[in-house]
Amino acid sequence: MSDFIHYRDRAPRPTKPIDDGGGEPDEGPRRPKVERPSTDNILKRMRKVDPNQARRYRQRTGQ
Amino acid sequence: MRRLCGIETEYGIQVDEVAKMDVVVESMELIRCYLQQDFVAIWNYARENPRLDMRGFEVDELRNDQDETVHLQQDRQRKIPLKDLKSDLIIHNGARLYNDHTHPEFSTPECYGLHDLVAVDRAGERILLQCARRRTDTRGGGVVRLYKNNTDFEGHSYGCHENFLLSREIPFQQVIDGLLPFVVTRQIFAGAGKVGVEQDHKARAATYQLAQRSDFFEVIASVDTMHRRPLVNTRDEPHADSARYRRLHLIVGDANMCEYATALKVGSTALVIDLLEVGELPACELVDPIGALKEISRDESLCWSLGLAGGQSSSALELQMLIMERAEALFKGRDEETDWILEAWSSTLESLGRDPQELVGRLDWVTKKWLLDAFVESEGLDWEKPEDRIWLQSQDLEYHNIDPAEGLFLMLEDQGQVERLITDEQVLKAMVDPPRDTRAYFRGKALQKFSDKVRSLNWDSIEFALDDRSQIVDLKDCVDEVTATYYNDALDAAPNVANLLARLATAPGRESKTGGAK
Repeated sequence: MSDFIHYRDRAPRPTKPIDDGGGEPDEGPRRPKVERPSTDNILKRMRKVDPNQARRYRQRTGQ
Repeated sequence: MRRLCGIETEYGIQVDEVAKMDVVVESMELIRCYLQQDFVAIWNYARENPRLDMRGFEVDELRNDQDETVHLQQDRQRKIPLKDLKSDLIIHNGARLYNDHTHPEFSTPECYGLHDLVAVDRAGERILLQCARRRTDTRGGGVVRLYKNNTDFEGHSYGCHENFLLSREIPFQQVIDGLLPFVVTRQIFAGAGKVGVEQDHKARAATYQLAQRSDFFEVIASVDTMHRRPLVNTRDEPHADSARYRRLHLIVGDANMCEYATALKVGSTALVIDLLEVGELPACELVDPIGALKEISRDESLCWSLGLAGGQSSSALELQMLIMERAEALFKGRDEETDWILEAWSSTLESLGRDPQELVGRLDWVTKKWLLDAFVESEGLDWEKPEDRIWLQSQDLEYHNIDPAEGLFLMLEDQGQVERLITDEQVLKAMVDPPRDTRAYFRGKALQKFSDKVRSLNWDSIEFALDDRSQIVDLKDCVDEVTATYYNDALDAAPNVANLLARLATAPGRESKTGGAK
């Protein structure tokens, strides 16, 4: 195969330990603070999705 | 992890911007776009029997649902021979690429290593994307899109099957009984997420489910896969010595986009089979496994409670924790991949119990829900309104689009918001190179090295043309690492087919695995 689709190489992202929220040890269990990734760019793409794409998408039963 | 396994994925296919398309022909033509030359049918169907059941009988025919029966009657009127319609290809990485019943299917080569499997699963996406783009360029109108998902939201499902080789010594019923609690509950991390409910008009339409496939199962085990769909397919086709091995053909799973979810799904299942083989799988019996599969998937409270035989109750999370801890006690420290699986399994269950949103970028159902929630908030949509819900189903579908210019998941991945287990370089390599430590290497490299001498092949044999005769290399015993290494080394060293056959025939301590001059 001579014409691969070339993708920009991305290094694997190491797993980050869960942030415990920075509370004092004697404050008891706390809900971990989880950083949410940004959705700005992806929302732009989502707005362009044809609302009826799923309605047009009809398949035959597979296995 | 050292268990021979593989994944078969049927892709959804759509051609936009055309009034009408023949999905059977479209799928066939798409597969052929992989080729640089005309299609030649070399897949050997003679050694297959999908009607043979592991429970000790053979059925007269495989059944289909009512809808599909009508389609198949129309298909029989076609003038295209079945071999051409299927367009079975074995490609250089040892995978099978073909038209499986109107869906382009990529069946990975056999792998021992989890990272090898994830790499080649991703390689399948890119090979099929390449085919789709070529088909778009050549079909004279329309844009071909492929989706790595499992439903059309209208009651038609297609599969992502996992295959694991295991010892024949364990009675099949024991395999089913032992695996069932795990298989029914693993969707809490392995589900790909779905907007809506199918095949149940009484269910709340606005439900967001954990899994795409859970609506579609009716029985626990069956030889059929398209009629009263089973969790486990009982086809007795180990592609290995049937006196020593079974192939566990799990058809209940979703196609995952997240590498982490793919690895966790396959890796945890492999460890559960390990537990089963050593007789250490915790005993547990669900009251209603099929009912529980659906209830867990649709439980938006995320309690995932279920009933156990004897009147006890538990939850999917508790059962998974119980099984994981048993695996941890027995297998921790065994090898690097096993430790990765155990760590990922444990931390995932902890996060699911604490806050599933910690798993954005790792699990598909969580990542998709996070995107949908952000979209609902941004656009002021209402899950209960049918028109809004259709738009959400369209977003659900586009999450699985394998074109990085359009697919929502791939866009997240490109932005670095998804956890990767492998590099793109490894994926590109897996598009052409088979795993080095399984018989897939022998299959793929034999095609690369002696392509003009390969007359036919399938998963467990290759037929070579030698002078005016055919010589079949039987690969049924080539499912352990020692034998695979011997065969693969012989192939690397052999300058020609005659020499290869001589090397295989004189393997020290082994009888000839070649023969069958025809």
